[in-house]
Amino acid sequence: MAPSQQLVKDYQSLIRAFESRPCNLKKCGELLTRLKVGLVTAGLLPVLPKSESSVEDLVVVRNILEIGAFWSIRSKDIPSFDRYFAQLQTLYNDYSTVLPPSPREHPLVGLNLIRLLTQNRIADFHTTLEAIRLSPEAAAENPYIAHPVAVERWLMEGSYSKVWSAREEAPAEEYRFFVDSLIGTIRNEIASCEEVAYDSLPLKDAATLLFFTNRNELLAFAQQRGWQINLIEETITFKKKDEEKIVVPTTKLISANLAYARELEQIV
Amino acid sequence: MAPGDVDMKPAADAGKGKDKDDEKAEDKKKSEEKENPTAPPLTPAQEIKANVALIERGVSTLEPRFMHRVLRNLASIRKKLTDSALREALEEIYVKDSVDKETLLSWLPEAPALAEGEGAMEIDAGPPTAPQRKSPPPSDPLPESEVYLRLLLVHHLLSSPETVPKALQLAHETVEKIQAWNRRSMDPLAARNWFALGRAYELSGELENVRALLLTAQKTASLRRDDECQAVLINLLLRNYLHYNLYDQADKLVAKTTFPTSAGNPQLARYHYYLGRIKAVQLNYSDAHTNLQQAIRRAPAAKAAPGFFQAVHKFFVVVELLMGDIPERSLFRHPVLVNALAGYFEIVRSVRTGNLAHFQETLRAYQAQFTSDKTRTLIVRLRQNVIKTGVRRLSLSYSRISLRDICVKLHLDSEEDAEYIIGKAIRDGVIDGRIVHEKGWLECAGAKSGYGPDVAEAYQRRIGFCLQLHNESVKAMRYPLNAHRKETAAAEEAREHEKELAMEIQDGDLDDDDGLDGF
Repeated sequence: MAPSQQLVKDYQSLIRAFESRPCNLKKCGELLTRLKVGLVTAGLLPVLPKSESSVEDLVVVRNILEIGAFWSIRSKDIPSFDRYFAQLQTLYNDYSTVLPPSPREHPLVGLNLIRLLTQNRIADFHTTLEAIRLSPEAAAENPYIAHPVAVERWLMEGSYSKVWSAREEAPAEEYRFFVDSLIGTIRNEIASCEEVAYDSLPLKDAATLLFFTNRNELLAFAQQRGWQINLIEETITFKKKDEEKIVVPTTKLISANLAYARELEQIV
Repeated sequence: MAPGDVDMKPAADAGKGKDKDDEKAEDKKKSEEKENPTAPPLTPAQEIKANVALIERGVSTLEPRFMHRVLRNLASIRKKLTDSALREALEEIYVKDSVDKETLLSWLPEAPALAEGEGAMEIDAGPPTAPQRKSPPPSDPLPESEVYLRLLLVHHLLSSPETVPKALQLAHETVEKIQAWNRRSMDPLAARNWFALGRAYELSGELENVRALLLTAQKTASLRRDDECQAVLINLLLRNYLHYNLYDQADKLVAKTTFPTSAGNPQLARYHYYLGRIKAVQLNYSDAHTNLQQAIRRAPAAKAAPGFFQAVHKFFVVVELLMGDIPERSLFRHPVLVNALAGYFEIVRSVRTGNLAHFQETLRAYQAQFTSDKTRTLIVRLRQNVIKTGVRRLSLSYSRISLRDICVKLHLDSEEDAEYIIGKAIRDGVIDGRIVHEKGWLECAGAKSGYGPDVAEAYQRRIGFCLQLHNESVKAMRYPLNAHRKETAAAEEAREHEKELAMEIQDGDLDDDDGLDGF
């Protein structure tokens, strides 16, 4: 089951292409596709739990998949990252006793966490976080893990300005690819807060709150959310929509009461 | 969870007696027939023998009730097991020298010289009396009895750390035997045996390796509609996943399986506990709360299973805090919980007062405990709740407060942060109010009145629970067979009587009519 000559050659050129600066994305993509086909024919992919493959082969597979994951982020292909990461998961979890630890494992796990945050999949974020095999102290010291954890905490408590200022402190280059969508996420969060928390807001302040430097950007954003803009007074007015809440849910009450009556009849 | 875990097992095993009166009466009759009431406190060996007899009867009459009764006292009998008691029971149950007997006996250590003498005496005394007491069994005991004996052996071997590997081996062998026999009457025993197998794996620290075996067994059990095995296996798998923090897999398992509704309380309690933990990690606190509450309600009394009780309450307290509620103080005074929840009590105090500094301090002090309880990540999330509680307290006590004051009172880093945090709190419905940005203050709306749709909803939930409880208890009632014949006879009589009455009334009516006519 040894990898063929061609595979080894492709693998080496992939590493070279990946490590050259700037990284040759197109070439990497081609090589990755070829390598994946090669791995499947060699019986090394998909990685089965407890397969018979040798440790060296698995390390090669892991390296290829890791490069693939990084490559997907650099070429901004999130679904592809998802696939690579899912395949890597088997190698990280089920082979943790067999394989030597990979230096790229934690950056990738951290990236995955950030990705979940940007997609607002908080529940998945926490499930993934629980599954990380690190002691709490080690996790707190690991910059790759600590960063998304801190970002999540700020997001949850509402310290959006901290998220904004932390966007430059990303521990790895790839994290920056997520910054844009993260900013989009927090802008939407802030906007939904503002809609409820304010009656009206001056345009200038709204721009600072939403981290807009450009007035036109803000106007476009406001239009998208359906806010009323008063250009003369330079204010944004938010629609009120929660005044009619006091209505008694009649049908619900009636059906509940009927249900009680039926049950009571059964008892008596 | 280290000490808790060891105690978890009694939690599940100590089945809640649901004896109906008729069953109890049956019990008495039974014990009178089967064992001569010579010595009121039975020796373990005698108890085992009685149980085997019950199993045989259960199998021959196709009445699962007897089997369940045997399994119910498994927990109590397990504590009394000794090498010599098991040996004695085996010797007496297998009268002839059979292969099965030899294999089972081989699992017990050779009795030391002194005990050997005792054992020999027992055997000497055994054979002559046994045939007199009851007719000698014509053949070897039924497979069910053998499985029961094996189960006892496994539990006995599990009780001391040195023999755990042996228990593992025996449990494996038993599982294979059960699968080979493939008898439906064995299902409840099989379920217990799976449980013992899982326990053996856990004690030997190889939990990871049993997963595939359990998954196939679960598949078979669900195809056969074997509710009891299914319940046990699902729980074992969940426990297995959660042990390695694989919440994702656990969640998928829950989504793909349906937990049998007929499962017994101990299994249901565990299932709810695991579900609660999964839901809590996924931030679905209200569901987690319901599940944990169910687990507490279904669990046996605190004294009987302290480990489970403590473990559930740890999560319960944290989830309640995450929901924004403050647990009752009396909970922390409960004798079983008072020590176990000490750290959690400190956390509750800091959340209640909204004191961020105290919260961080407690988190540091009890770090090790929270980590081993697997509640640490949940507790870390409480930070935002501490802030929220603080905000809520402020909004209730002030009708108008400046953002800077909020910042100072809650130890926040900047006014800017405070504004975002307050905005989020308003959106999440934690407080009711408006931020006036130009003036830099928060205007709080007055407190809501106590009545509204929420109240109706809470009321409805409670009524729903009561009704469900009532319906379930009605369904759980058991009636003795043929007892209704007498009643039908009585009913017949009553109907006669009614008819007579009706006739009389009719006559009366006629009389009245006559009277009217006459008038």
